[in-house]
Amino acid sequence: MSLKETIARRPLLAILGGAVGLGVLGGGIYEARLLGGHSRHHGYADLLSQLNDPDAANRVGGRVLDEAEVFEPQVVAHELRRRLKGRELAAVLADDASQGRIVETGGWVLPETLALLCGLAAKTG
Amino acid sequence: MRDTFLFLCAETALDTQKLSKLIFRPATSAWIWFLERLSLSAFADARAIPSGTTFETDIAIVGAGAAGITLALSLARKSLRVLLLESGGGAFDSRTQALYAGTQTGVPYLKLSASRMRFLGGSTNHWGGWSRPLDVSDFEARPWLAHSGWPFPRSEIEPYFPHAQAWIEAGPLVYDNDKSWFDTFGAPLSLGGGGVYTSFFQFSKMRGSVLPTNFGERYAADLKHEPNLSMLLRANVTNIALAHDAQSVDHLKVATLSGRNFTVRPKYTVLATGGIENARMLLASNDVMPQGIGNGNDLVGRFFADHAIPRDTATLVLFDGNLASYYQNNQTDKDGTIFRAALAPTEAFKREHQILGSLATIENSVQLDDLGKAAVATTASSLNVDASNAKMLSVGCGFELSPDPDRRLMLTRERDALGMPRLQLHMTLADSDYQSYRATLKELGRQLLESRIGMIRLDRATRDEWLSVMDWGNHHMGTTRMSADPKAGVVDPNSQVFGVGNLYVAGSSIFPTYGASNPTMNLVALTLRLANHLKGLFA
Repeated sequence: MSLKETIARRPLLAILGGAVGLGVLGGGIYEARLLGGHSRHHGYADLLSQLNDPDAANRVGGRVLDEAEVFEPQVVAHELRRRLKGRELAAVLADDASQGRIVETGGWVLPETLALLCGLAAKTG
Repeated sequence: MRDTFLFLCAETALDTQKLSKLIFRPATSAWIWFLERLSLSAFADARAIPSGTTFETDIAIVGAGAAGITLALSLARKSLRVLLLESGGGAFDSRTQALYAGTQTGVPYLKLSASRMRFLGGSTNHWGGWSRPLDVSDFEARPWLAHSGWPFPRSEIEPYFPHAQAWIEAGPLVYDNDKSWFDTFGAPLSLGGGGVYTSFFQFSKMRGSVLPTNFGERYAADLKHEPNLSMLLRANVTNIALAHDAQSVDHLKVATLSGRNFTVRPKYTVLATGGIENARMLLASNDVMPQGIGNGNDLVGRFFADHAIPRDTATLVLFDGNLASYYQNNQTDKDGTIFRAALAPTEAFKREHQILGSLATIENSVQLDDLGKAAVATTASSLNVDASNAKMLSVGCGFELSPDPDRRLMLTRERDALGMPRLQLHMTLADSDYQSYRATLKELGRQLLESRIGMIRLDRATRDEWLSVMDWGNHHMGTTRMSADPKAGVVDPNSQVFGVGNLYVAGSSIFPTYGASNPTMNLVALTLRLANHLKGLFA
């Protein structure tokens, strides 16, 4: 199984499952290089527009990427679109918390969806 | 002898008439004359006791702290002859305090002479008054936690909680059951139905806004006026002498720093000298049982515990800045009850997630760094919450340690001024214990997000980080642990030392598992239970 396949099959919840789990996202930087550096994808406006404070999101997202081992924007975007389809971000984040989908970024306990969005913003912004 | 005796009378209060009733030998006429004629309303000073004297009494209690004083008064009021022996005098004395000194290995910990007070009142001379009953789950054997569990459920001591509450003067037994505080002081945080909830401490009565109930001061008059109770200050028990069959205490050897030596021959003895000295006394009394009294299974001194109190473990952000006053500071209700909130894991959360007890307190305002500001801004805005008035606060806590037989007290070859072997403490602290508390904080963070009222940052991730901010509760526990099984404990469910029929232990040294609650209120409840048991033996 190729690295790309491995990444693609890795459940996002597992990737973002905890403080250490976030570190997995960082590997995406390596993967992006491996796959030809196509990480700066600009087709995520529908997602990033949901962030009311882009500067703050970018700063948080930078920490998300610092602590991640793997972060594949396309995979993340796909999952975010699935979660956010027809729903308000605030409701999804509260639902994340309700379902225990929380992660640590720089010690901050965040809803997983927000961490993914911030990471996507920092990665592609 | 008269001059010496009068000098000592002047220096410390002397209870002589009551003491004379306990004298067995030598009953010299001069000695009796002094004892019978000097003031009744006073304590006796052991330095005035002629060497060679023997006292007989129903019950000897060693140590006049919270447990010893509670027990002594409870028993004396039931017409039992009680002799209360206190190592110190009426005030701090550095030479007496130095008897506590010992050495340490392992994780850095407080000096053995630091946490305790060796004079009348014991450690209530400097306690903080924080009180809270142990949780129900604290008494349970937790399959995932080795060596855990009490030999009885909390319901066994619950009847004593209201009385213990009265002894420590912490107001009515309210804690988590009085919602009127919310009406007066504001609603608690809306944490939903998660694993962390708002729980309450109550506080022992403050005097002059400084100190909570000091048992030595508060109950001095009762101790003096109780006709069946005699109190000897500066009386150090240096040996518990067993009968030849090793199944009972024959007598106690008592010494003073001034060189006097005498004997107490009680029907029953209760050690109430604290979580460290109780073990030391048993280990050092090794003339009949070479391994020490009650130590046939090498348990005395093991399982030492305290509450770990790391500072600034988290940063709590409340988006709207609203926080009821009882979270950050002690409040006093209309009835005079002093209380303060803490954030505690629920019983269900502890059981389901294998979490140790903890009590997190909200402390001081703090500033956020750039990442923190960004995290709050993006989280609040994404939750559609206004955070323009957000309040940022540090979080402290006290958390429970897992029982560890290697965290232990041992005798050394070094001797104190009375010739007793000094102790060495080997301290351990498992990373998993901190991670358990951290999991509770993370659950709190989850609940804050779910309720859209705030968020949290976990400030200490690595062992080095949290050890660097570690403080301690000064709550010595576990070294003479209670069990129904002689192979697993030092005292039985009645607090009697296994195998020694007339020797008992009082205080938090009998706690086999510790919980996160401060021990004083709980140990007083257990002491009242012991008092009932002892009364039954004489009934």
